[in-house]
Amino acid sequence: MPVMFSVLELMPDWLLTHGPAFLMALPLLMAAIMAVLPNKRVAWFTTFIVTSILTITAFALALYNAKVGTTIYKMGGWAPPHGISLVIDALNAPVLVLIALMSLITVVYAMPATVAEIKPNKRAPFYAAFLLCVAGLLGMVITGDAFNVFVFLEVSSISTYVLVAMGAARDRRALSAAYNYLILGSIGATFFVIGIGFLYMETGTLNMADMARILADLDGGSRVAKVAFAFIVIGLGLKLAMFPLHTWLPGAYAYAPTPVTVFLASTATKAALYLLLRFTFFVFDPSYAYVADGLLYILVGMGVIGMVFASLQAIFQTDARRMLAFSSVAQVGYMLLGIGIATTASVAAGYLHLINHAIIKGGLFIALGAMWYRFGITRTEDFQGLGKTMPLTMGAFTVLGLSLIGVPFTAGFVSKVNLASAAADAGWWWAVGIIMLTSILALVYIGRVLLLAYFQSPPQVNGETVIRNEAPIMMLIPMWVCALASVFIGVKSDAVVGASIRAAELLLGAG
Amino acid sequence: MNEFFLITEHFSILKQINPGFWVILAGLICTLLPIGHARKAFVIAAPIFAGLLIFQLYDVNSTEHLGGVLQFGPVELTTLRIDELSVVWGYLFCLAGVINGIFALHEKCRITDSSALVYTGAAIAGVLAGDMVTLFVMWELTAISSVFLIWKGGDHAYAAGIRYLAIHVLSGVMLLAGAVLHAQANGGDFMFNDIGLDSPGGWLMLLAMGIKVGFPGLHMWMQDAYPKASITGTVILASFTTKFAVYALARGFAGADILIWIGAIMTCFPVFFAVVENDLRRVLAFSLNNQLGFMVCGIGIGTSLALNGVVGQVFVHVIFKGLLFMSIGAVMYRTGTAKASELGGLFRSMPFTTVACLIGAGSIAAFPMLAAFVTKAMILAAAVEEHLYIPFLMMLFASAGVMEHSGIKVPHFTFFAHDSGRRVKEAPWNMLLAMGIASFLCFYLAWPWGGYQNLYALMPYPMEYAYKPYTWDHVVFQMQLLFAAIFAFTLLKRFKLYPAERRAEILDADWMYRRMGLNVAIWGSAMWDRLSVHTSRIRTRTLSNVGRRLYQTFSPAGAASEATPSGLAAVLTAGLLFVVLMLGYFAR
Amino acid sequence: MSVETKLPLETDVVTKQMDDIHPVSRYFLFLGKDSVKRNFMWLPLAGMIICIILGIFHPQKHPLPYEQYIPGSWAIWGFVAYSLIVLSANTLFKLLGRDESYYGEGGLPDPDYSTDPMVTGEAHHE
Repeated sequence: MPVMFSVLELMPDWLLTHGPAFLMALPLLMAAIMAVLPNKRVAWFTTFIVTSILTITAFALALYNAKVGTTIYKMGGWAPPHGISLVIDALNAPVLVLIALMSLITVVYAMPATVAEIKPNKRAPFYAAFLLCVAGLLGMVITGDAFNVFVFLEVSSISTYVLVAMGAARDRRALSAAYNYLILGSIGATFFVIGIGFLYMETGTLNMADMARILADLDGGSRVAKVAFAFIVIGLGLKLAMFPLHTWLPGAYAYAPTPVTVFLASTATKAALYLLLRFTFFVFDPSYAYVADGLLYILVGMGVIGMVFASLQAIFQTDARRMLAFSSVAQVGYMLLGIGIATTASVAAGYLHLINHAIIKGGLFIALGAMWYRFGITRTEDFQGLGKTMPLTMGAFTVLGLSLIGVPFTAGFVSKVNLASAAADAGWWWAVGIIMLTSILALVYIGRVLLLAYFQSPPQVNGETVIRNEAPIMMLIPMWVCALASVFIGVKSDAVVGASIRAAELLLGAG
Repeated sequence: MNEFFLITEHFSILKQINPGFWVILAGLICTLLPIGHARKAFVIAAPIFAGLLIFQLYDVNSTEHLGGVLQFGPVELTTLRIDELSVVWGYLFCLAGVINGIFALHEKCRITDSSALVYTGAAIAGVLAGDMVTLFVMWELTAISSVFLIWKGGDHAYAAGIRYLAIHVLSGVMLLAGAVLHAQANGGDFMFNDIGLDSPGGWLMLLAMGIKVGFPGLHMWMQDAYPKASITGTVILASFTTKFAVYALARGFAGADILIWIGAIMTCFPVFFAVVENDLRRVLAFSLNNQLGFMVCGIGIGTSLALNGVVGQVFVHVIFKGLLFMSIGAVMYRTGTAKASELGGLFRSMPFTTVACLIGAGSIAAFPMLAAFVTKAMILAAAVEEHLYIPFLMMLFASAGVMEHSGIKVPHFTFFAHDSGRRVKEAPWNMLLAMGIASFLCFYLAWPWGGYQNLYALMPYPMEYAYKPYTWDHVVFQMQLLFAAIFAFTLLKRFKLYPAERRAEILDADWMYRRMGLNVAIWGSAMWDRLSVHTSRIRTRTLSNVGRRLYQTFSPAGAASEATPSGLAAVLTAGLLFVVLMLGYFAR
Repeated sequence: MSVETKLPLETDVVTKQMDDIHPVSRYFLFLGKDSVKRNFMWLPLAGMIICIILGIFHPQKHPLPYEQYIPGSWAIWGFVAYSLIVLSANTLFKLLGRDESYYGEGGLPDPDYSTDPMVTGEAHHE
């Protein structure tokens, strides 16, 4: 790590001091400019530059945070609790890096993908909406103000509806999916803002750290706080696709343009999960009885049911992207389980799975997008012979798929083992059994397509066997970055595990 | 030593790499090398090189040399550890590798050369491994590489080879499982140190080592496979596998009381089997088992005298047991058989081999001036010191037994007894050379004036006083035992009470799986076939029903996947909110 | 065929047999003589007696509890142990001995090559 700190020397001072504001202001501003840009190529390039800068900034801020600890940036010089504060601590720094990095990866992938999926005159608006979405996600993660969270949540959500609907050029079902998402997303956001309202009523402040302090003074607060908790948990539950509130997710993932799916799958639900962590452990506290019950019965209960049900559903899907979408719901279950056990080790494991799963799913969806790009593949049965026709793409898919299952020396293994051992330490042996079971189910739905890809010969078209046709380099790079990252984490997990443990210790107190 | 000759100083990377790996590498090169002479050069040079490395890496004054640390996720591997215990085995295996290589010089066989080298290297790397994962890998590699030596014995060795492999892989898996459990109980520390029997992991590891070292009842792979291997194969096999396991026991379970009794029983039971067995290589395998019993017992006693005795015993044992196997191997090379009923009177044709065999026999029976005289006495003395009289008497009984099967039966039926009429050539020069080196060492390592003291210098544990082997009482009483045994032999022979050699298959513990287990399996599969025929309809129907239900529920067309209208989803959301509110309401 | 190849060995003259014998072994042929074999037993007996007597003058330094009362304790133990082992052989053989083809894995003697009287039906050469 000290070696990494030397990177900070390269960063200008203003970036470290004003970086938090920069992180959400830059994409917001650029999105506005982008919307009026006439040239689509410039749009991609600008987006690429912006996301690169965001990644570097987020990375620098995370390093800075690891070095000096929590930093609070006062927006416009107004001190909290009255002004809006931007907080960077051990909990959100990794998520910021994740969002920025995945947005960069998505943009790289989007260069060829949008050519195929978005009409030329829609590309500049597409990138504008994309940047808005990035701004919203980064904003809701970085801000220390509860109402601000809602604002950015809406910024990201509304731009996401637009992005999903853009899939209509490819598949008209995108429109109904986007509509469905719009309705449910709005309900979720409404619930959330109602919850914030109740909290404001109870505590008289909107600053989250302040709320936490006052709630602690009130020993958990009155019934108003309980109602606020219920609304916030359900509102966020909708956003993060907690079973059974996940019904918007498969459609949105399956019919959105592929870059959007990549970005959504790896960041949107993760940001919501981050908020859930922030509210249940930081603003509220598991020592309040109603929070503990909520964790135990709602998060764990729904998480576990979701793990099993969604995995089973994934097995029977015929559409590859829907299969992965249901798998995402199942994986959210793992994270909820980790959060619900509520020990430092388990929260760390859940948090770790959040990061790992973002990388894995992002890479998997890029691979699927590449397959669609070359052969128009959406159905699982069309995978036959892909091992020969797209060996590199299928290779990345295999590595990431194995990681999803949790094969040793992959990221998925690290987080699943950590989660299982945390559950075992807490005496939750049945949960270990469920983790095993769903890993086997994951083996079935991933193995199913791998078997088709490697043990069937490529299909015949007009009497001729389909020949090798590899994905373009701009798709291969991001997918292999994800694949190698997942292997790297699997082999050398210290940094990521360390970050997740620091995050969990921040939430639950050291030890 | 001159600085210039310290190759480890010139190439510091050598300090990080387990010397055994070089031998394994040489073996792998040999698999691709078509030139026989070049392979032979590797076979001789690789163990010498490894031995030289061990010598230069091991600093007599420091306690241990650690190296090759690798980090795999949470597991830290230390692939190289040379300390005062492992260095003895390191030297010994290198020495045995060279002698075995000389013995096999005549054999032009790529498989033998390469598998012998990999096997030797795996054994060296295994004893020099610092952690249990590397130990496990080498544990399995010794089994996998050595099975080819068994298969080289011919068609009738195939099944025995499979059994050997299966048992050893099972042992390895148990070792790994035990290691993981043990490491978990110790905060993830995979270093291979004292293990003890406090945890289930310890017991599992003991069982794994017990299989490899031939605990009573777990021993039969040895007597099953060794006599069926090729001539050179048996010699090589007898050097490493079990001694590797003895090392593991000495490292992990020194002073475990249960080993005293296991070891004592282990010394006694093989002598009964050896006396009725016709195949002399199997007799020697039983004898090997019996010798291992002494070592296991010494490990169980666990005092520094006993452990030093074990270390010395292992050292000399590899040499004299190798010598015995080599002499019988030479006989088999010339006559084509090692069955007592087929042999006899060969001293007329193979005088040098006869002398070598007699030296080996004298060594194993612990005649004064010959190898085991010093080391076995140390184990026995340690037993007396600890007042373990019953195990002591059992070992004394077994010593008479050793005299019977290895000291008398093997040389007698091969080289003396009635003349089989076979007139063959003396063994080839390379076999004689190998046997000569081993014979010399048998004398040297028990030589009272500057011989056994060198063996003492290798011994790892500090002793209050150096055990003195050449005292009047020890020599006299040992000779009493040996003379009495020989006298009993001549007497029984005179009165025709000594059983003649007879061809037979002697049943042993392997009957459990070779006959009973096989029959149970055959019966079970027949029953299973019948059962499956009768239940196939029910099974297919149930399975298809379950499959259909799952499909109906979870498939895209199924109930759970019905496109949920946003209205219904909203109701669901409201319902869940209600549940959370109720939870909050009723929360304490 | 097997009979023919063996014929010269059985019937040939002594000089022919001497040619087959290793030059070093010719000096030790007396070991095969009946008288040597028969009288060999006195050697270990004498050794044993000498060692028992020596054992009285040089008793065990760390004897077992009973040993100081019994001269030649190791000789007795060795004799008894050895006899017990050998005498148990017949019983053990009856209990555990099976035909060599019991497991049916091969490795049986080759009748063309064997010198075992049980296989060839001819007595050993003495």
